[in-house]
Amino acid sequence: MTRGEFRLRVAYGKTGRLRHLSHLEIVHALERMVRRARLPFAVTQGFSPHLKAAFGPALPVGTAGEREYFDVWLTRYTTAEEVLRMLRASAPGDLSPIEARYVADNAPSLTAALTIGSYEVEVDGKGFDASKVQAALNEVLSAGEFTVVHKGKHKVFDLARSVPKDARVTDRVGGVTVDLTVRMGPQGSLRPEALIRHSLEVAGIEASAVRTMRLDTFVEDGERVWSRPV
Amino acid sequence: MTAGSLWSRVEPLLSRIERPARYLNSEWGSLHANEALYRAVFLYPDTYEIGQANQALGILYERVNRIEGVAAERAYLPWIDMIDLMREERIPLFSLESCSAVGEFDLFGITVPYELSYSNILEALDLAHVPLRAENRTESDPLVIGGGPCVFNPEPFAPFFDAILIGEGEDAIAEIIAAHRAAKAEGLSRADALIRLAQVPGVYVPALYQPTTDANGTLISIEPSRGAPAVVTKRVLSSLSDHDAPTCPVVPFMDVVHDRYALEVLRGCTRGCRFCQAGMVYRPVRERAADEIVSDVMAGLACTGHDEASLTSLSTADHSQIEEVLRRLTRRLAGTGISVSLPSLRVDAFSVELARLVSAGKKSGLTFAPEAGTQRLRDVINKNVTEEDLISTVHHAFDAGWRRVKLYFMIGLPTETDEDVRAIGAVVERVLAAAREATPPAQRGAIRVGVSVSTFVPKVQTPFQWEPQITLEEVRRRQSVLREGMPRKGVDLHWHDAEISFLEGVMARGGREVADVVEAAWRAGARFDAWTEQFRLSAWLGAFESCGVDASVLATRERDTHEVLAWDHLSAGVSRRYLQRERERAFSETTTPDCSFAGCTGCDVCGDLGVDIVLSGGVRQ
Repeated sequence: MTRGEFRLRVAYGKTGRLRHLSHLEIVHALERMVRRARLPFAVTQGFSPHLKAAFGPALPVGTAGEREYFDVWLTRYTTAEEVLRMLRASAPGDLSPIEARYVADNAPSLTAALTIGSYEVEVDGKGFDASKVQAALNEVLSAGEFTVVHKGKHKVFDLARSVPKDARVTDRVGGVTVDLTVRMGPQGSLRPEALIRHSLEVAGIEASAVRTMRLDTFVEDGERVWSRPV
Repeated sequence: MTAGSLWSRVEPLLSRIERPARYLNSEWGSLHANEALYRAVFLYPDTYEIGQANQALGILYERVNRIEGVAAERAYLPWIDMIDLMREERIPLFSLESCSAVGEFDLFGITVPYELSYSNILEALDLAHVPLRAENRTESDPLVIGGGPCVFNPEPFAPFFDAILIGEGEDAIAEIIAAHRAAKAEGLSRADALIRLAQVPGVYVPALYQPTTDANGTLISIEPSRGAPAVVTKRVLSSLSDHDAPTCPVVPFMDVVHDRYALEVLRGCTRGCRFCQAGMVYRPVRERAADEIVSDVMAGLACTGHDEASLTSLSTADHSQIEEVLRRLTRRLAGTGISVSLPSLRVDAFSVELARLVSAGKKSGLTFAPEAGTQRLRDVINKNVTEEDLISTVHHAFDAGWRRVKLYFMIGLPTETDEDVRAIGAVVERVLAAAREATPPAQRGAIRVGVSVSTFVPKVQTPFQWEPQITLEEVRRRQSVLREGMPRKGVDLHWHDAEISFLEGVMARGGREVADVVEAAWRAGARFDAWTEQFRLSAWLGAFESCGVDASVLATRERDTHEVLAWDHLSAGVSRRYLQRERERAFSETTTPDCSFAGCTGCDVCGDLGVDIVLSGGVRQ
């Protein structure tokens, strides 16, 4: 943080068809949105000056986000309401800012602060209901460990730590909805979709489609005390 | 017309393929009309990330959407993974904006950007469920119209199009749509509508032209019928300022080639390089005024949010007000992190100064095109650059802090000898020496000279349109001669694939008989030929064989200046007399000056097309 700069935190949604964008594509789209909004954005110093912004934990391609965050540094104070209005006018429909607040210049970075992700996963298909999927999920969770193989590397998740809250499955038309909360961090973030697909496979349940949405991300203030970063 | 959206069937496929951002639409700047009486879709025959930045389609998209009652949408060829799934699920090629089947539109425009995109045109038509050949289309099929850089010899793809626009589309597209709407309103048949369209200046309707050959298969005439003009002459704007440049183009979500705001600052180039088709067919030079450029760039950046603006043209450093433009833009953009870029540079100190003006400390690399290794050969091709120019320019660039340059050369140019080929290595050696001399000793390790060598492909409507292309074997031999004389240290040598150049040459000058070959090659699996890892010459050679067409003859035969050429019924405005005169001057190693700097050189474009050079600053320097 440089003197005379104002750190603004923006909550936005990655919804609709834009859930198919990658994290890098989202980053570029948000930067372009800020420039289009003609905000008085700060520019990094150095060899290749660019817009000063920072982004929350990445969402994979295909996963929607109901409430994601980025920080942008401004060189002039403009009310957060006004900034939000300008941003919304410059946003693609499915990438719309919801809230904007100034945060302290010494606040921890979004990636360091946000360690809890709450997800809603829709599983489509016939021949199963909530209780069957709940049982399948509980079976895998009770094993205590979950191994993900990605690009030839094995990553082992301690499920007691990675899933800090009970998963809940409910019925809906066309399938079930799974509410799942996972811990995120530099040691790796468990992908809810991977865990659910694995549980279904083990139980021999066939899903026709799986859609994932991150509903919210939180800062851990203490044992089971979570809050939003603004 | 039914305008059902295919999105509900497309979306489930997106989790099964790479890079779904190619198919999403809803980008910032995309235009969505609700109700339209007439709908057009424009396709770039390659993937989204290759075609999205195409400026011509961007202009047409904006122009057509402005016409009352008309909507224009975009389409791209999906990548192979998506195409395979679409065929499996019987989903036709779709437009981006409304996700409608391309076959349901009134007009299906396809730009033809490159000789190796022809197989992709068939892939697109087939995926759209539109008959490949114009003759097999019915009243319910869209009007398939072509345009773009390859139309000056459209014969190898002519049977796949109902009509092809020769030249600039800004005004012509509105006239084509008006004529087509009128024909529809009058209830004309498809065939009669095409006869009507052939009356629009610049529109070539292949079905109305019959090539005739003699017993040996030699072309003897191309006869027009049903009142179509004997020669279709290209469309050309008298001034770029007749139309506003797009300042709110589509802003892609995914990383695309040329991912920046691009403004065309001038059109045409009259340097007169004899191998260069663009320099011949986009004449005359027309510059946009400095005030217009500065305000359009600022508006374009504000509307798109891009962090880079590119001033595009065939030779931006030639713009008579370029220095003023760059000074004004860099002043306005100071402190924003937004940069300005220039696509190509002349070989002179002025260009290095321009590059310095916009580099803002970033000195990634400069690109120059000496094209040939000896002065003799550079005079043959009319590349008015001396070795002294090159060496002093390189010296200047390294003195100014650059550590990397890239040099473009060609092999196989007319009259080339092994001595010319070896000389390329000698030039690179002297470039390296100049670079070292201008660089502080401690930094000399960072010096890199990229050398990119392509094979000369003779193009139509140039003074070399009659010349033979060297054979594949000869290309490989000259490449080895070149490699022997090329310094190793500090040099990155790249070749253009010899087999690809060979096929380019066949397509560049082949006649209508080659269309059968294109179709046979596509049926044998050819698609995405411009993607090196997808290109298989064997599929093409098999197709030539099965169609009884000798590819080597098409590429490597020297044409007689008296013979009928497959593209003689089309004109880019440059007279045959001028092309022949330039050919003679080439062989006598005589250069011809640039008419935008010196006097008229008699190419006949201005007189015949009723246009003139437009220099916004009055004179060039």
